[in-house]
Amino acid sequence: MIQLCSNDDPPVSFTVPRKAVELSKTIKTMLEDLEGFDMEQTPIPLPNVDAPTLELIVKWVEQHQDDPPPVEKPRVEDDDSDDSDADDDQEPEVVIPEWDKKFLPTDDEQKNQLFKLLNAANYLEIKPLLDIGCKYVADKISGQTVEWVRDYLNMENDYTPEEEAKLKEEIAWAEGL
Amino acid sequence: MSLAVVEAQVVRLQAENDQLRRALADFSVRIVCGRLTGELPNNFLEQFSQLPDRPLEQVLRFLPARQVVQMRHVSRKFNNLIRKCSKTMPKKERNGSVLFKSYYGRILSVVLFDDRGCKINETTLASDDVALSELLCLICIKGLIYFSDGLSAADEVLDQLSKAWLTIRPEVVVFSGHLSKTSRNTLRAFLVKVEPSIKRLHFQSADNLVQSLLNDDVISAAGRLDGLMVLPSGWSFRNVNIGDETLLSMVDTDHTSSYFFAIGCTDITPGGIRAFVEKWTKKWMKTGKPEAGAKSTVYRLRSAWNLFELTFDKCANVTPATVEAACGKLLKKEWITKVDSGDGEMNYQIYIAIECHSSNRRLEIHFDIEQLFPPHYVSEPRPNVALNDLYDDDWDSETDEDDESGDFYDDDEEEMNYPEDYIF
Repeated sequence: MIQLCSNDDPPVSFTVPRKAVELSKTIKTMLEDLEGFDMEQTPIPLPNVDAPTLELIVKWVEQHQDDPPPVEKPRVEDDDSDDSDADDDQEPEVVIPEWDKKFLPTDDEQKNQLFKLLNAANYLEIKPLLDIGCKYVADKISGQTVEWVRDYLNMENDYTPEEEAKLKEEIAWAEGL
Repeated sequence: MSLAVVEAQVVRLQAENDQLRRALADFSVRIVCGRLTGELPNNFLEQFSQLPDRPLEQVLRFLPARQVVQMRHVSRKFNNLIRKCSKTMPKKERNGSVLFKSYYGRILSVVLFDDRGCKINETTLASDDVALSELLCLICIKGLIYFSDGLSAADEVLDQLSKAWLTIRPEVVVFSGHLSKTSRNTLRAFLVKVEPSIKRLHFQSADNLVQSLLNDDVISAAGRLDGLMVLPSGWSFRNVNIGDETLLSMVDTDHTSSYFFAIGCTDITPGGIRAFVEKWTKKWMKTGKPEAGAKSTVYRLRSAWNLFELTFDKCANVTPATVEAACGKLLKKEWITKVDSGDGEMNYQIYIAIECHSSNRRLEIHFDIEQLFPPHYVSEPRPNVALNDLYDDDWDSETDEDDESGDFYDDDEEEMNYPEDYIF
């Protein structure tokens, strides 16, 4: 069993089976690097994750600890990478499983919790959780107006009216895509 | 050893153990925080460098391309993020065509068609603020890129299209506007960019196809081509600097049917044509048994052959006589008379041909094609005209087996009569 600590003061600690916690690539890599130390005795502090979020994370990894590992594909990062590999860069279809649908904090008043969860999933590199969470947000945003998305994502419109007018022209072009 | 000594040792070891544990906890904090440098495997910490944007980027990947563009409106942060990650985002593939036109040298119009000729969209950009690469960042253009009226292929346009991260994979590129603002280096860079996909390159009715723009080196940047057309506009043909090197490179094409259509290319010599013919023959004239499926009938449809057409017009050194003199017995002369139904004048055409029955290939050299829209001419994309009708992509596959008993030359008509689409 591995102990994880939230960033609260005082920290809230969770005990998680090692197999489950290894769904996080960040922690898995760390444990591998510290092989030989008795990590069961050393709580791992997670300075970016608060207790409610960590609780959700723990719930999710425990539920999914027996899932078959996802097929890893290297991310294309560099700008001048050969264009030819863009072909196989198609994202695979992500389907949100039933359990996860119920699990995700999907009420609108819970949306900040959802974003915290995504941030934590990203930070801990739990790709399947990040995928389904992002897929959920994308489905939510899909078809909505710019104003709605701005509100939903808590973003501020920081364009000047001139900039906005210019953008509008460019964006009109994308209508038929 | 007394008990006290052992106990003291145990206490000391426990203290040491605690100390180590604290150090380890501190160590793991630093690892998880990503603040540690060195002492760790390479790249271990790099994954943290772009944390905050990634979930958003991931969200964007699940959105339709059209909405991603709209989302640029949300905020500066979002706009910058989209610009940043559009380079790595999956691109929407379009097999249709893009048409560029320029009006008064200032405004660039960009029209996107799908492969069935549906106009997907049209936009205009002021030429002092060409933001093409921004526009096209979420689409991968396949099919046809057509530079039409005006300075549509000016350096600033080609520069934008040549951006390293922009995906364009056209099969056919046509330059048919004014090329006076196009420099050789920019054109070359553009051709290098499209080299992996381009199969046919046309300079047709292009103005200002001046001596300084085209040469063998620029054309070679496009790599292996199945079709090349150099057709300057008007009747005052300039000297186009394309010569034997380009001609010879055309032999390397893999496509079963190919063409090189050259008008005003003064550097092509009869000697070059002989070298071409020898190289071509060596490549295709196989000895021994004919290939499976190849027929030994002499009289057969021209379209049943895998045809390589060389067409020369206004190329100073190339006339039927000089080519015959240079190639001698390598070629078998066929001579065709055509009546131009338009004005009733006789229009003579001369074909010189080689047939390779074993590989089902035929090489034809044509002279003086007096036509406004010669074979393989690519028309400008326009609504309701499918991509395949703009150019005859299957020009080699229209085999009509039933007609085999007919006269050898009868089916030439199919090359001379253009579909109605060509007449405008």
